Amino acid sequence: MTGAVLAVRDVEKTYASGTRALRGVSMRVLPGTVHGLIGANGAGKSTLIKILSGWQQASTGTVEWKDQPVDWSHPRQALAAGMAAVHQHTPLVDAMSVVENVFLGRRETRRWDAAARRAELLALCDRIGYELEPHQAVAELSVGARQMVAILQALARNPDVVLLDEPTAALSPAEREVLFRSIRRLRDAGTTVVYTSHFLDEVVELTDHLTVLRDGLVVVDAPTADVTVDSLVTAIVGRELAREQREEREARPVGAPILAVTDLESAGKFGPIDLTVHAGEIVGIAGLLGSGRTELLEAIYGADPAATGTVRVDDRQIKGSPRSAVRAGLALVPEDRAKQGFLRDWEIWRNISLPYLSGLSWRRLLPSAARERDLARRAIADLGIVAGSAESPVGELSGGNAQKVVFAKWVYGPARVLLLDEPSAGVDVGAKADIIHLVRRMADDGRGVLMVSSEFEELLTACDRILVVRRGRVVADLAVGDTDLHDITARASGLKEGNDS
Amino acid sequence: MSTTSAHDHGSWRRSLAPRAAGVVYAFVALVAILTITSSVQGRPSYLSSVNLSNILDQSALIAILAIFMTVVLISGNFDLSVASTAALAGTVALKTIDGYGPVVAILAALVTGALVGLLNGVLVQKVGVNAFIVTLGTLTAVRGVVQAILDGQSITAADSTLMDVATARWAMPIVVAVILAVLLLAGAGLLIKRGGSVRSTAGLWASGLALLLLALFRPLMLDQTISVWIMLLLVVLTALTLRYTVIGRNLYAVGGNPEAARLSGIDVDRYRMVAFVLNGTVAALVGVLYAGRFNSVDPTVLTGGELTVIAAAVLGGTSLFGGSGFVTKSVVGTLILFTLSNGFNVLNIGSNYQNVVQGTVLVAAASLYTATSGRERRKLRAALKKEKPPAPAELVRS
Repeated sequence: MTGAVLAVRDVEKTYASGTRALRGVSMRVLPGTVHGLIGANGAGKSTLIKILSGWQQASTGTVEWKDQPVDWSHPRQALAAGMAAVHQHTPLVDAMSVVENVFLGRRETRRWDAAARRAELLALCDRIGYELEPHQAVAELSVGARQMVAILQALARNPDVVLLDEPTAALSPAEREVLFRSIRRLRDAGTTVVYTSHFLDEVVELTDHLTVLRDGLVVVDAPTADVTVDSLVTAIVGRELAREQREEREARPVGAPILAVTDLESAGKFGPIDLTVHAGEIVGIAGLLGSGRTELLEAIYGADPAATGTVRVDDRQIKGSPRSAVRAGLALVPEDRAKQGFLRDWEIWRNISLPYLSGLSWRRLLPSAARERDLARRAIADLGIVAGSAESPVGELSGGNAQKVVFAKWVYGPARVLLLDEPSAGVDVGAKADIIHLVRRMADDGRGVLMVSSEFEELLTACDRILVVRRGRVVADLAVGDTDLHDITARASGLKEGNDS
Repeated sequence: MSTTSAHDHGSWRRSLAPRAAGVVYAFVALVAILTITSSVQGRPSYLSSVNLSNILDQSALIAILAIFMTVVLISGNFDLSVASTAALAGTVALKTIDGYGPVVAILAALVTGALVGLLNGVLVQKVGVNAFIVTLGTLTAVRGVVQAILDGQSITAADSTLMDVATARWAMPIVVAVILAVLLLAGAGLLIKRGGSVRSTAGLWASGLALLLLALFRPLMLDQTISVWIMLLLVVLTALTLRYTVIGRNLYAVGGNPEAARLSGIDVDRYRMVAFVLNGTVAALVGVLYAGRFNSVDPTVLTGGELTVIAAAVLGGTSLFGGSGFVTKSVVGTLILFTLSNGFNVLNIGSNYQNVVQGTVLVAAASLYTATSGRERRKLRAALKKEKPPAPAELVRS
């Protein structure tokens, strides 16, 4: 068969760690189409994108570019052939102007012909139907405009195929519309677009053809018009999982409300949100990347100075700082533990005692190393932290063990409500189970837990109640017994509205 | 128990490793070289109490500044304005002492220093300007204020209280010294018994032992100027606070990973601002003592001193990235710098080479620290990595 501008045939990818990310994927991208590439976390989408854009090579199988097998080992080669990728965080040079960024690194001429470049930029802008002031500094642009600069940067190389990886994750609805218009214009002018997104409503609206990956295999490969929304969700989550998640989880009794969030709002991040967590209750926040879930947790924790609204823990109001949040009884396990969760050079015991050090001190002033070490040893035994001793620096531990240390900072303190942001991200399967178990145990102690995860299966396993967040709003409040993976995925990705299930 | 003793053993070894105690070895080696050289050349003993006290007195004021510079550096900031602040405080003290008396003069000077520190702190922490820029600005502007007040003249005060204080000497009675030494050693022992490590008590052991030996064998060394005693008092207080209190622990956390500290409920801004204010106040104290030496100040007093202070802290192994450093080692760093220049004088080597040697020593020390520290190595690697295109893992996420 010919006609495809870009095709992969029977591509497999096995990493050095033994992980089989792709298990025989074939896909054909036809010229002049918008081709959607979707799949849940871990489906192999990232790996396929890396192979298509030349970052990685397939273990077996072929990549064909205009019917010729190619063997790209560096993105430069893909780019030279006419395959330009725009990644989620394309680095732009903030201090430079739009025109300088767009033509950054292009080498065919040595001389910088300002007038010619400007004209070329305006022509590009015209092609996508988007206005940009060529001499404005990129630092002054909105997130959406920066995204457009990144796309223009790709288009400036005159590619035949543009790969857009989650281009709308950080965009407002209005910016999204502009982007979609531009993508359609590009397609109509003959450029092929490979488009990935977590937002299924976008994919259905925009693409001509869909490839759905699950567990390293292609499960759907069809024109978008032939795909029903329902079958799409099932294809992504898998039939067994979607139906069978509900084990024998009975509703656990919960106590009085301990965390009350009222009218919490942060301009541009998430809209006014109300929520309540009861004693002994685990509440999950299901949202996709860019839904405002992390920002919401940070605002509850007082870490977002721009947020308005009230947060109360047991009737103590939090006054806009993490310090006051900790004092009121909140605890946060942050998303990026290396940056926000621990000090990598510090021993396990010094990290664990950080938040409540005064409580471990003589007259709240002189820390007692003996008590700190005892606590650390207890945590190591209790949480199953694999480490040489309490003296090991946390930076030397594996992801799962480091995450347990971050948990241990709060577990033995007086915190009433735990805010968990992706508690099992980058953690191996065993540690993941340990962490879920630990979360349950804390709830059984009568604490409240509010937990964000992009792995909805995990929320279904751990939580009593799930709030679905999309584009900065709570769109559904579901008891875990009344919902399933299919339902949550549909709601979070915008394919289903309303609170009925 | 064998495991405990093995652990202790490793702890001894670690606290004596070049990485942990290198600056002390360097200092001892330097003094040894100077002692041998001067005795070979038939000069008066380098180790005489007079010469050693002299070095101590010369370095005391810069050492005081280095202590609190280290505190600011640990908190993750940077302060170039200390020398100018000291000059301004000295000027304020001398300008007011004849009219209002020494108490008011000293208070006015200290408040001036605290205000400069507060200004630095607010601009850096609340407004968010880079600390290097802010304190470069206050360095220049505060010096400008000094020049405006003095109008090119040096001034002298009639009231000689400052001079009396700054040049006074005090000899610690031998009994007191022995008692203090025993208390220090007992404290160290107690801390070990209560679960402290050898490493964390190394400073106590060393200072207690040193004091005991001096009291028994060199009682003349117990006679020092007030500046030296103030320096010693401040270094002991600060070192104890940093090492053994919640405040100290939190300060290291604030510098080591501000985001993790903030999310653990520590008020990062407050710690960093207090560090600036302390630094300004102490700079003012140094300014008053300095002005007291000759009971006069001129517009160029202490110019460039901030660089010596930062050099001393770096020599002592303080990280410019925050989160690590020891005030005691910064004091030893200061002693190295002053021993070097003192050695040049004693050995009668042209002072032209002093700066060359001091600069070389500084860079050599910093290179050694960087090469031997995992943390700095990682930072260096990260910085080098930034030059290359970002790894695909950072770019592509699903």
